[in-house]
Amino acid sequence: MRYLLLSSCFLFVTSCVSSYKTLQRTDGDASCLQKFRPAFTTSIYSTQVDILANHLSGLLVIKKMPDSSVRMVFTSEMGLSLFDFEFSADGKFTVHHIISKMDKRAVKKTLQKDLELILMHGLDTQCPSILRDSGRIYYAFPQEKGSNYYITDLDCKELIGIEKASKRKPIVQVVMKNYVNGVPDTIGIRHTKFKFTIGLKRLER
Amino acid sequence: MRKIVSLVLMVCCFMTMHAQYPGYKTVEDLGKFRELFSATAKATQTIKSDFVQEKELSLLSEKIVSKGKFWFKKENKVRMEYQQPFQYLMIMNQNSIYIKDGSKENKISTRSNKLFQQVNQITVDCIRGTVLNNPDYKVRVFESSQGFLMELAPSSKALRDFFKNINIFVSKKDYSVTKLELLEQSGDKTVISYQNKEMNTNLPDALFTFK
Repeated sequence: MRYLLLSSCFLFVTSCVSSYKTLQRTDGDASCLQKFRPAFTTSIYSTQVDILANHLSGLLVIKKMPDSSVRMVFTSEMGLSLFDFEFSADGKFTVHHIISKMDKRAVKKTLQKDLELILMHGLDTQCPSILRDSGRIYYAFPQEKGSNYYITDLDCKELIGIEKASKRKPIVQVVMKNYVNGVPDTIGIRHTKFKFTIGLKRLER
Repeated sequence: MRKIVSLVLMVCCFMTMHAQYPGYKTVEDLGKFRELFSATAKATQTIKSDFVQEKELSLLSEKIVSKGKFWFKKENKVRMEYQQPFQYLMIMNQNSIYIKDGSKENKISTRSNKLFQQVNQITVDCIRGTVLNNPDYKVRVFESSQGFLMELAPSSKALRDFFKNINIFVSKKDYSVTKLELLEQSGDKTVISYQNKEMNTNLPDALFTFK
């Protein structure tokens, strides 16, 4: 059921966003985004990945370490570790382990960039442009290529979605829903240029 | 000085050999163990049991525990059903593996995926007693007062990518498998313990068919 809700969230985000060109500059305070940043301590998500014609599932363990870095370990349900990544607070990315079949530059880069979107790093250190349309506010944080957009309602009370975008359109869309104690219960990541989606549902422990 | 160093090295080696699996010593008469293990396997038509799986990750202080049920029917039908804290079903039947994880179903032919077949063959080989003959692994056997430990080291690089060793614990009481340990190169490990075993009960074939 939760995965059905995830896909409908993506439709909701995409149906109203055709281009960023029509957005208008507005005033606002990007510090309101802080409350949406996941306050991970240790969370375990049941994970479904669909890439092209392949399907993969497992558990994604997300843990905040004492040095404020975040570790993400993906294992199969039967316990085999597929990758172990570290995201440090200063933006450094380290691969502790990855199986050889996934040990390709493009795969690691894609996973790194996608999972970094969930962490919402860089909100404190960067100055975004703030834009709007009739129903939403877009906080645009410039990246090496394109921008990351954090999209909220007009009052910044709801995080509608996150988009990693080129100049013209979204490349990756993220939804994070049903926050419990500061941690989203449901996370979805979807690429728009090719079939690649990641669905995360937090396990109760 | 050289003699002292050599002596210390010898003592360290001796201690390492015995400390590898505390309480266990190398089995001298592998033939007898092989015979009894195989005999038990031959007499096993079906197995039904509960299992508890504990995944130890070095970065977590507590283990990730999952529970479920396990069925086996001769010759090589296996059903492994995870029930808590997630639902995941794997059925092995002949040369096919069927997986249902939450929402999606997937059927994989082991003929087209050799690695998958090698990894899952271990489960069948343990139960059938043919694990000692599996050429994909180098096997050493150790013995304690309570049971045996079969240490399987993968021969192929592809398998070594997934794990360093598989340790299979066998009861001395009935020569059945009580526990599997999958040890990864990183030091992380997964332990599957089988409990409440029922042997040679009537299991319908429907349990191992893909619906």
